[in-house]
Amino acid sequence: MRRCRLSVAIILLGGIIFFNGSILSNQTEKKNQPFPIRSLEEIVSFLRSLASQNEKLARVIKIGESYGQRDLIVLELAAKEAPSARPPEERPAILVTANLEGLHFLGTEASCRLAGKLVEGYGKDKVMTEILNRRTVYIAPLLNPDAYATWTGSFKWERTANSRPVDEDNDGQIDEDGPEDLNHDGFITQMRVKDPEGTYITDPREPRLLRLADPRKGEKGIYKIYTEGIDNDGDGAINEDPPGSIEINRNFPHDFEYFVKTCGPFPASEPETQALLKFLASRRHIALILNFSTENTILNLQQTGQARAGADRVRLPRMYASMLGLEPDQEYTLKEIVEALRSSGMAGGMEITEEMVASFLGLGAAVSIDRQDLPILEAIQKEYKEGLNKAGLDYPERRARPVQKGSFVAYGYYQYGVPIFSVDIWNVPEPKKAGEKETLTPDRLKSMTPEEFISLGEDRINAFLKAIGAPASFQAASLFEMVKSGKLTPARLAEMMEKMPPRPALSEEEHPETYLLTWSDTALGGQGFINWTPFKHPTLGEVEIGGFIPGLKLLPPAGLAEKAIDFHLNFYLDLMRRVAEIEIQEIKATALSEGVYEINVYLTNPGWFPTSTAQGRRAMTSWPIRVKLNLNRDQDLFSGQPVTLIPFINGSGEVKKVTWTIRAKKGSRLKVEAFSPKLGKVVRFIILP
Amino acid sequence: MAKITQSNFIKSNFIRASLLLFFSSFLALSAAQTEIRLSFDHFYDHAELTQALRNLEKAYPQFMTLKSIGRSFQGRDIWGVILNNPKTGPAENKPGYYIDGNIHGNEIQGTEVALYAIWWLLTNYGRNELATRLLDEKVFYIVPTVNPDSRDVYIHQVSDPNSPRSGLMPYDEDRDGLADEDGPDDLDGDGSITMMRKKVPLGTGTHRLHPDDSRILVRVKPGEKGDYLLLGEEGIDNDGDGQINEDGPGGYDLNRNFGFNWQPEYVQRGAGDFPFCFPETAALRDFILAHPNIAGAQSFHNYGGMILRGPGAKNMGEYLPADRQVYDFVGRNGEKILPGYRYIVVYKDMYTVYGGTIDFIYNVLGAFTFSNELDQDPLEAQRPRPTREEESPDIRAMLGQVGRLEEMEYHDLVLLGEHFTPWKPYKHPLFGEIEIGGIKKFGRRVPPTFKLAETCHRNAAFCFYHADQLPRLEISKAEIKKISSSLYQLDLSVVNSRVTPSMSAVAIQNKLHRPDEVRLEGKKVKVIAAGYLIDEFRGLTRPLKIIKNRLLIENGVPGFGRINLRLLIEAEGRIEVVYDSLKGGLKRKSLALD
Repeated sequence: MRRCRLSVAIILLGGIIFFNGSILSNQTEKKNQPFPIRSLEEIVSFLRSLASQNEKLARVIKIGESYGQRDLIVLELAAKEAPSARPPEERPAILVTANLEGLHFLGTEASCRLAGKLVEGYGKDKVMTEILNRRTVYIAPLLNPDAYATWTGSFKWERTANSRPVDEDNDGQIDEDGPEDLNHDGFITQMRVKDPEGTYITDPREPRLLRLADPRKGEKGIYKIYTEGIDNDGDGAINEDPPGSIEINRNFPHDFEYFVKTCGPFPASEPETQALLKFLASRRHIALILNFSTENTILNLQQTGQARAGADRVRLPRMYASMLGLEPDQEYTLKEIVEALRSSGMAGGMEITEEMVASFLGLGAAVSIDRQDLPILEAIQKEYKEGLNKAGLDYPERRARPVQKGSFVAYGYYQYGVPIFSVDIWNVPEPKKAGEKETLTPDRLKSMTPEEFISLGEDRINAFLKAIGAPASFQAASLFEMVKSGKLTPARLAEMMEKMPPRPALSEEEHPETYLLTWSDTALGGQGFINWTPFKHPTLGEVEIGGFIPGLKLLPPAGLAEKAIDFHLNFYLDLMRRVAEIEIQEIKATALSEGVYEINVYLTNPGWFPTSTAQGRRAMTSWPIRVKLNLNRDQDLFSGQPVTLIPFINGSGEVKKVTWTIRAKKGSRLKVEAFSPKLGKVVRFIILP
Repeated sequence: MAKITQSNFIKSNFIRASLLLFFSSFLALSAAQTEIRLSFDHFYDHAELTQALRNLEKAYPQFMTLKSIGRSFQGRDIWGVILNNPKTGPAENKPGYYIDGNIHGNEIQGTEVALYAIWWLLTNYGRNELATRLLDEKVFYIVPTVNPDSRDVYIHQVSDPNSPRSGLMPYDEDRDGLADEDGPDDLDGDGSITMMRKKVPLGTGTHRLHPDDSRILVRVKPGEKGDYLLLGEEGIDNDGDGQINEDGPGGYDLNRNFGFNWQPEYVQRGAGDFPFCFPETAALRDFILAHPNIAGAQSFHNYGGMILRGPGAKNMGEYLPADRQVYDFVGRNGEKILPGYRYIVVYKDMYTVYGGTIDFIYNVLGAFTFSNELDQDPLEAQRPRPTREEESPDIRAMLGQVGRLEEMEYHDLVLLGEHFTPWKPYKHPLFGEIEIGGIKKFGRRVPPTFKLAETCHRNAAFCFYHADQLPRLEISKAEIKKISSSLYQLDLSVVNSRVTPSMSAVAIQNKLHRPDEVRLEGKKVKVIAAGYLIDEFRGLTRPLKIIKNRLLIENGVPGFGRINLRLLIEAEGRIEVVYDSLKGGLKRKSLALD
């Protein structure tokens, strides 16, 4: 098989050499400019100069230091001198966070650009001006500088941990065995070694890739795989205890995974985590968090708990069940229990919500998205998917990473209790597959004109080449060159195809990393994969070093990066405009009799998001709206509470009413105020008629 | 005045000097013998505690180190005491025992117990076999008061038996944008927050007076008519929001703020915004984590007379069986030292606690941790208290502030009225004519001062017992047999004569800390092969991996157990065998190979 394929390659290549003169005309070179990564120093100086040059809009806040003692910085943006502007800490705020994982460079870049965009756009662009006048935006582009810094070391290695030394192999020594760039190619890739105990074999369809041998199919393993390096501590394992090792994005307190070393010994054990948590706790006016990470929680709503989203059936304790006329042995949804409470009259006019029931029953920590919050998330998901598709940025949803246990986004929703979204900005796209009807066959090729052939497009031709088993370095681009210049015709290509041996069985499953190889080959000119090259290892003997380069999934070519960042910034800016607000729409004072008035206050939320998420109410971190009637000495309250709590108001102008009956003099003044930390405060006066 | 001649001058100075010398040597002698006399018949505020600790350090510098492990919210030093005899080894090479007290501001007597323990060990070194052995073989890490701010408020300012439990960082409990704006008020000026009651028309009340003692309010049964309302704690509506005393000083619980199985506020009240968000708990965290040799621990609370172990909550499962056996052994013997105290499990026999100290120390450090609830209700002490399942609602109802006759008798005849304010009329701005009275701050939960010393001694004795049960390792056998010119067989046995294993089951299972290791040191020593000797008659071993003359003993030495190892080594001259256990201590044995 192999030798036949080799001879085909030689024929094809020979043909090219003969007709073309240069084998590797790199069509893809211009698009391949790598996406530029700012250094740590550049990021810090960018933020600081943005602040110093725009003092009325921007301020740098240091919120802490990483384990490696690097500054953790948040940029505060608010137009302090806008007309009737409230101080930044009293406005609804949005927090934009990026790169808790350390290597999500796109996120850091996107959030830096967002800061620049907002500042530059103030006074010129309607949207930016409105946001900075009425809201505060906090932007934190780099919350894991230790991991980020490892990228500019002597070699590239995907390490998402901070720099706390951890004895990962529990042998009494700390950080004693890290990777080495043995072949000095600047990357930590993999080593494969032939070993009698080996469990891996090369993938038959794509020999660059390795997969586990399946003994049930009669396969016998050949290779063992290691990361590139040597056994520094002589314990038989390679690179099992590298420098540093706590993943900040697994160190948050919701659904924390205990006893896993990379998550940390306990939640919030790391200074980076603590700094962010302290910042959040001290800024209770943060109403929306927009995150950039390798997670895409808009596309993937899967949660870390076992339950599906919105599943919330509970059994009532006997005592309460009988009070409500429900069965103690039956499971009810929270919604059904709320209904039963309302109809039983036991609530006594107080508004009962599902979160109150959950809290009262001591249901423990929530692990699934609250059913009442789902519609908002699904609406945003729909908009996002449509937008991605239109922009040509979509990728298979199964590759969208959901929240992980102990992640920041999980904490943001379940404990901090606000709407929180995370996007990865870009993911390796799915290579386009030709449909069955359109499969290119030699016959079809023979009847095609060169123009028709070229119009099929690179992707289809690449897929076709792959399907016929052409060597990987043979790409559509080169073929097109030859066809355009007349050196090759589709018919000639068809003849060559017919001479080739049949390809291996198509029924075998494709290796799950094939799409990455395709991406490397087509978009990066093969630079995304280091071909397996022999190397003499000090203890393992003859090995081969190769594999995907670190950062392959994180660094698109510059052009694509621009497009993806642009799309996501616009999407996030739009979400920022939709933050909930509180307005006293109207105060109606009706005289019931001389000196007796009924006061009706109508409150509304002109934003799009509800004033709080259901989970935020359940977690008691999103507070109700306090509506207070301020009476002077000569005014008396007859009915109603001096301070009335409204649990929440939905968006898009829903109205809730609060009623009081008071005794007061005609013509006297009444003050009504409504307040909630994430909405700010509004005050209105009325003169009694 | 005598004329000062030269010879006079020299003579008088000589006399002065020798007198000085005599007295100073006398003083030096007495200083070594001077006991620091501390009395345990009163409660120490932070200033007095500080002075006592400083005096102890000055008198026993060879054993005691006093350091500030952090500052409380209001800036008081949180004192950490380390007791060790450096002549028998550095602290980090010995099993450590940890004690803290007074994490809840009103639960003050734990501080006196801790102080007593420090004082007793130091003053009895060289005179008492246990004190000497404990200071020689173990190291003590003691934080007498974790919450000095609230401690001082409790002692010197207005408070009640249950508060201030929290720290004093302002906390917006009623979520109105203001923090600590409506706490209790000492309306009658008696220094305590007592209760308010109001007589109302018959039939409109929820309580009635006890027929035999008008100081006691009894809740009416269905159908009964009441003529009293129990209005709650002394106070007024300071912020005009319709509620009284809903947002007092602080409002969180430091003993729910620890990082193991921490749950947010809506699941665990008082937990704070995130683990260790308060300066006091952060200081404890840093102190505890800095001493991973801590193998046993105690955290004092009040009250009820209990020796508690975790788990604090059901969701993480029960402790491992091997560890439970160690807890049972120590806990049950503890009941003999503390008659009336019950050895019970927090989540099962008490209530659920997420994020507590004892779960943290056990699950992060792998150290066996108890929490004693000091002092029982004096009336309960006289008769055994039913378990939670056995308690009827009636009995439970009686345990509230609405007291019992016997309690009143106790206050009158034993406490001599010191801790009870008789009900007296008061004109309340909202409620009108009411009465204020009830049990005062030292009248419950803390022992009366005449019983304090016993609480201190017995609980310190429990700590000493537990500390004495920490791993006690000895290289009991190190036999050399020559095989060939430079090859030797070395048989080693390490014995643990106490119940606590050198590695707890939770530490082994979850790899919480480095395993024990055997090291061979010497100029030309090389370990060729090594294994656990599993059959000494047949000479069978189970292999151990060798990493550069180190053997990892991954399961440590069991409680009341031993490990036997057999090694083949190449060596010349002298070798040193080292058994290095993080929590079991470091032991050495020197061997000559000839």
